[in-house]
Amino acid sequence: MAEPSKGLLRAQEIYQDRSQRALELREQGKKIMGYLCIYPVLEMMTALDIVPYRIFGDMREPITRADAYMPSVNCPFLRSCLDLGLKEKYDFLDGIVTSHICDVGSSLSGIWNYTVRTPFSHHIDTPHTLHETSLKQERGLLEDYRKALEDFTGHKMTTENLKKAIRVHNEQRALVRELYELKKPDPPLISGVETIRVIKAIQSIPVDEGNELLRDVISEVKERGDGPQTKSARLLLWGSILDDTALPEMIEGLDANVVMDDTCVGSRPYFNDVEVTGDVIDGLARHYLMDIKCPRTFRTRDYNDVRKDYMKDLEVRFSYLSDYARDWKTNGVILESVRYCDTHGYDVPGLRDYLDNLGIPSIYLEHDYTEGALAPLRTRVQGFLEIIS
Amino acid sequence: MVLIYFAGIDLGSTMTKVVIVDEDDQTKASVVYHTGAEHRRLANRVMEESLAKANLSIDDISFVMATGYGRINVPFADRQITELSCHARGVASFFPHVRLAIDIGGQDAKGLKTRDGKLLDFVMSDKCAAGTGRFLEVISAALGLKIEDLGDISLRSTQKVSVSSTCTVFAQQEVVNHLSEGVPLEDVIAGLHDAIAGRSARMVNRLKVEPDVVFTGGVAKNVGVVKALEENLGCPVLVPEEPLLSGAIGAALLGKEHVLKALARGETIQTGKRRLEEATFFK
Ligand SMILES: Nc1ncnc2c1ncn2[C@@H]1O[C@H](COP(=O)(O)OP(=O)(O)O)[C@@H](O)[C@H]1O
Ligand SMILES: [Mg+2]
Repeated sequence: MAEPSKGLLRAQEIYQDRSQRALELREQGKKIMGYLCIYPVLEMMTALDIVPYRIFGDMREPITRADAYMPSVNCPFLRSCLDLGLKEKYDFLDGIVTSHICDVGSSLSGIWNYTVRTPFSHHIDTPHTLHETSLKQERGLLEDYRKALEDFTGHKMTTENLKKAIRVHNEQRALVRELYELKKPDPPLISGVETIRVIKAIQSIPVDEGNELLRDVISEVKERGDGPQTKSARLLLWGSILDDTALPEMIEGLDANVVMDDTCVGSRPYFNDVEVTGDVIDGLARHYLMDIKCPRTFRTRDYNDVRKDYMKDLEVRFSYLSDYARDWKTNGVILESVRYCDTHGYDVPGLRDYLDNLGIPSIYLEHDYTEGALAPLRTRVQGFLEIIS
Repeated sequence: MVLIYFAGIDLGSTMTKVVIVDEDDQTKASVVYHTGAEHRRLANRVMEESLAKANLSIDDISFVMATGYGRINVPFADRQITELSCHARGVASFFPHVRLAIDIGGQDAKGLKTRDGKLLDFVMSDKCAAGTGRFLEVISAALGLKIEDLGDISLRSTQKVSVSSTCTVFAQQEVVNHLSEGVPLEDVIAGLHDAIAGRSARMVNRLKVEPDVVFTGGVAKNVGVVKALEENLGCPVLVPEEPLLSGAIGAALLGKEHVLKALARGETIQTGKRRLEEATFFK
């Protein structure tokens, strides 16, 4: 038998054929749990030896069946996810966990249950604000979720196993951060395109296997001589889901490297650890509600202050991005959003004001979640690069 | 002394434009062709024709810069640069004080904030044909009119109608309705021009309108749209003598500046393979 591939090659194989490992594990009797977006708590799945498997769309596959259930003015990423579900591409899943990522995402979970009918399903109604009551609410929701998973597997989720799971997932977060450190030099040791492949791969396999993959990738890119070249621009990419390399491929085909990102198939789920608290659920609730910085959560300063000082409010919401820009030495920011994503769209004007105020050049791109529609965006990106370089 | 020449080719969605300039920035030759399904691949013919006009061969050209929608795959270009930068550079060669340039071409409209020929910021609408030259082409074809006559016809208008639809398909319907209700042709056409100008004026608002404002691209040949744009922006709008050529001239000049910079740094100039072959289009 041929030696199994490792590192970047392995990541690319999984990127291209995501379900291969999940199908093997299913053969071995493992339960495979689909999840949508990054709010379903993965640690609880791992604690019960369930394999988390992130649900993605496919921008290279035309949406044909989902239109019967979702209007075409809904997020094309979520429509694509449903479309793949309807086309039986997710039939190997034992269950699906969704959360209230946004209104459309939330209704998708109901539609999925009626149409795709994955055997087990659970919805976490994650709050959107950071009040103390929201945290209490999230905590309660996670207790329910824990019970649902216990009923599903017929096993108790011990505190010890949960702590162990938090540790492996934190290890994964640390490894991803280590990988992103390698994007700080010029040229970066790993490209934006390769990064997406690696992150998508680790979101398709069990966490311990993901950690092994990350370790291999880290040592490989440190040693190889044929990594990315120096380009005129180092870019930070912010925005809604990018589960395909097409956009960064277009960008990196021009005179630019994508050296940092804030997207959910990128750094977003990994840049804060889960604290192992006395009551374990507390730390998980805090992490998933408060620490993950996705526009789906409304982040403000103290409620009494906010409305009076726009710039301070922007500072609280976006200062981590200016840290990224400084630490990864970027000279421009690309804001991207899939069309009809109000969640990201509503953050754009404020974020652009914030960046303008700091003198950081940015450009906003809206795309259709199709590969073909990227060509006109090339002129915008290239024009932007001509301005900043 | 050896004379040196620079070529700019603007392979637009609708028109292919080639300009050859000499070292004093004087235009030696220019050629404009329809990009049309066949011609887009025949960019080399347009290039050959301009070389013949200037009495030059491709090897006499120090640098060939490609721009426009089809810039990616011009087999005889040495480098490519977006039409955003090229229009900014091109219009500045006619109007040095330009601060805002508006380019309306065959399939998109762009607002360019510029100073000293440099692009500072831009806005673009390329989502559909509404508000572009294509829109006027579709409607003039439907009415059996020549595109170059629309401007003069609209100047006769005394009471332009308002065209509320921003969609090319629906606007066409609206035009037919107006005409069947007996509205004079010139008032309907003036209304269409106003719709296009209004769209662009709203789009460039984000860039803060400052004089000089220059209007370029094929649609700037239409005096009706120029007038409507002045009304919508509330300021005078300057138009180059041949607005179709700004992008190609800008490309040629940016090519020249690229060469001069490289020479100043003591570098040799990287030219491409210069195959005078058909251009292939990217998706
Ligand atoms: N002589 C003319 N009179 C009026 N409009 C014209 C004329 N020639 C071209 N146009 C308009 O210009 C458009 C093409 O403009 P152009 O700037 O060449 O576009 P592109 O760069 O996208 O090819 C056509 O769609 C047409 O509406
Ligand atoms: Mg053009």
